[in-house]
Amino acid sequence: MKFSFTEDQRMFAAGLKDLLANECTPAHVREAWENHTGHLPELWSRLTEMGVLSMLVPESAGGMGGTLVDAVLLFQELGRAGVPGPVLEHMAVAAPALANTSWGPALVDGSQIATLWVDNSPYVAHAQVADLVLRNDAVITGFSLTDVHGIDGGRQLFTISGGTESTASAQIFGLAASDVMALASAAYLIGASERMIEVAAEYARQREQFGKPIGSFQAVKHLMSDALLKVEFAKAPTYRAAWSASTGAATAVRDISMAKALASEAAYRASRSTMQVHGGIGYTWEADLQLWMKKSWALMRAYGDATFHRRRVGASVLSK
Amino acid sequence: MDLNETSEESAFRAEARAWLEANVPTSPLPSFDTEEGFALHRIWEKKLYEGRWSAVSWPVEYGGRDADYIKWLIFEEEYYRAGAPGRVNQNGIFLLGPTIMEVGTEEQKEKFLPSMASSEIVWGQAWSEPNAGSDLAGIRSKATRDGDDWILNGQKIWASRAVWADWCFGIFRTDPTAERHRGLTFILCPLDLPGITVRPIAQLDGDTGFAEIFFDDVRVPVSYTLGEENKGWNVAMATAGFERGVSLRSPARFSEAVNRLIHLWRTYADPTDTALSDAVTDVWMQAEGYRLHTYQTVTGMLEGRPIGAEASLNKIFWSEMDVRIHEIALQILGPEAERMEGPFERWVDGFLFSLSGPIYAGTNEIQRNIIADRVLQLPKGM
Repeated sequence: MKFSFTEDQRMFAAGLKDLLANECTPAHVREAWENHTGHLPELWSRLTEMGVLSMLVPESAGGMGGTLVDAVLLFQELGRAGVPGPVLEHMAVAAPALANTSWGPALVDGSQIATLWVDNSPYVAHAQVADLVLRNDAVITGFSLTDVHGIDGGRQLFTISGGTESTASAQIFGLAASDVMALASAAYLIGASERMIEVAAEYARQREQFGKPIGSFQAVKHLMSDALLKVEFAKAPTYRAAWSASTGAATAVRDISMAKALASEAAYRASRSTMQVHGGIGYTWEADLQLWMKKSWALMRAYGDATFHRRRVGASVLSK
Repeated sequence: MDLNETSEESAFRAEARAWLEANVPTSPLPSFDTEEGFALHRIWEKKLYEGRWSAVSWPVEYGGRDADYIKWLIFEEEYYRAGAPGRVNQNGIFLLGPTIMEVGTEEQKEKFLPSMASSEIVWGQAWSEPNAGSDLAGIRSKATRDGDDWILNGQKIWASRAVWADWCFGIFRTDPTAERHRGLTFILCPLDLPGITVRPIAQLDGDTGFAEIFFDDVRVPVSYTLGEENKGWNVAMATAGFERGVSLRSPARFSEAVNRLIHLWRTYADPTDTALSDAVTDVWMQAEGYRLHTYQTVTGMLEGRPIGAEASLNKIFWSEMDVRIHEIALQILGPEAERMEGPFERWVDGFLFSLSGPIYAGTNEIQRNIIADRVLQLPKGM
């Protein structure tokens, strides 16, 4: 029994964190919102070069040949930076699922972009910048789209219609696309939550009222500690879910659901508490906090919300 | 990452399971916070010791098995699975023992550890005072040097197990001129010395699980000092950190309680009540999350990443989870939950006991302050 990441896994995640600290600042994320694509082509190239986008693609197909355990800390770092665009969908599902098809090479080298249409939503995120949409056993190209105005500018939402469908399998590691996305989203939400807490802690150290930093008040300390508590206790379940998924454990789906339920609720709590700590500025467009809050509010609903996943866990552990 | 047990770990689990199945008393012992129950639990501890299961993480020379933290967790899982009795000497084996191993002299290790492992000596703890609860640095009980002895004077309170324990450990002020956290010394003291009065305090459930201890010119040799003189705060914090960290409430306790809760739910609850089934699922996830979090923490400790102030997160998490588990059980029990005795008294008693969790070993409000100050680096307040 060894519940830890290898030095290599930690180093790779630290490298991604460094890259994102420069290439995906809040200003970059705002740029993606304001260019109305929710996508940053420059960043996409950097992530391709580093091997992040092909982490789960087999080496035989030109990828990094990693497992979901290798990828889970990367999902978390993507969340910490609030990375916009179809990175998770492309990286976690579309590229590895289609790696050995005719679409594979262009997805692995990042020259084409794929996103997903999962069964539990009528909407397709990132469809505007995607060359293809993977839906169950079909690849859809040449579709037309209607913007339905998602809450997160870095995750634009559309309905799509028409186009050409070709057959392909969206199964990855024996799991449905939406389950792999639930795992990736859980880790991303943990990173986003950690960032919201960091940003609010910094604000609480600087902002003074009654002649003192507001972070010295117990009411603020306790809000922040409780937010951190939920995030910290969502981590181990998320890492375990990655391990279960990558080893084909019989409990993989239950474990993913547990991770997504906990991470979704942790992220929501973090968004509420950190916004409260910001006071009035937290309710403005200007405060960067909204970049991670809105991402959290989008991803906590996507790929099954906490209620959906809790009930799936319940069906597994309460039956018999 | 490999969440499967090694063959060595599985063999250890099998050995523990077999021994427990053969030796755990078939009917539950009376509470160790009663005189009869205390004596029976001491006999059980001796049996554990003879099977070398009383202190598995301790070195072999002191009666343990040199088990690493992972194996300690495995043992705990088997212990709770077997429904084995509560640990009457946990103040000693889980708190004081590791501290003696860290800062004690060779003589102290020889003198105290084997008798602790066998529960020939059962330990009570004496931290708090009437004016030093959450604000533990406000301790006033003093130890005055007289030749090779300390003269102890003062009053301790909420001293758990002290009513029937043989010895106690606590911190005393040895330098009244020093600043609050300094000038304190960690001292071990037999409870049958002249000048000691132990006054039991009835808990919420009526049992006397803790006591006041009055010290009136009590004389103990200075060789009973643990760690350096006037450094008692640091010694105590090492113990308190370990207590909050992993040892006090092992995950197995809650996994076992949740399994019993699920059984209760299957037997008595309306399965169409989704609010209730959601609540049961929620505490299952909490117990499972706590188990996973602990395995991750101890793997980190084994790899050289010691636990720090994050230990305070654990203490908040398990204590609130324990209350929640019992609240849900009482909700399922409905009118039966009004009875203090009867077929479901374990749940009602467990509910009362769970309410102490957010208070003892540093209230959860103090833990939140510690997290805010040391983990989140917020400015000191108060």
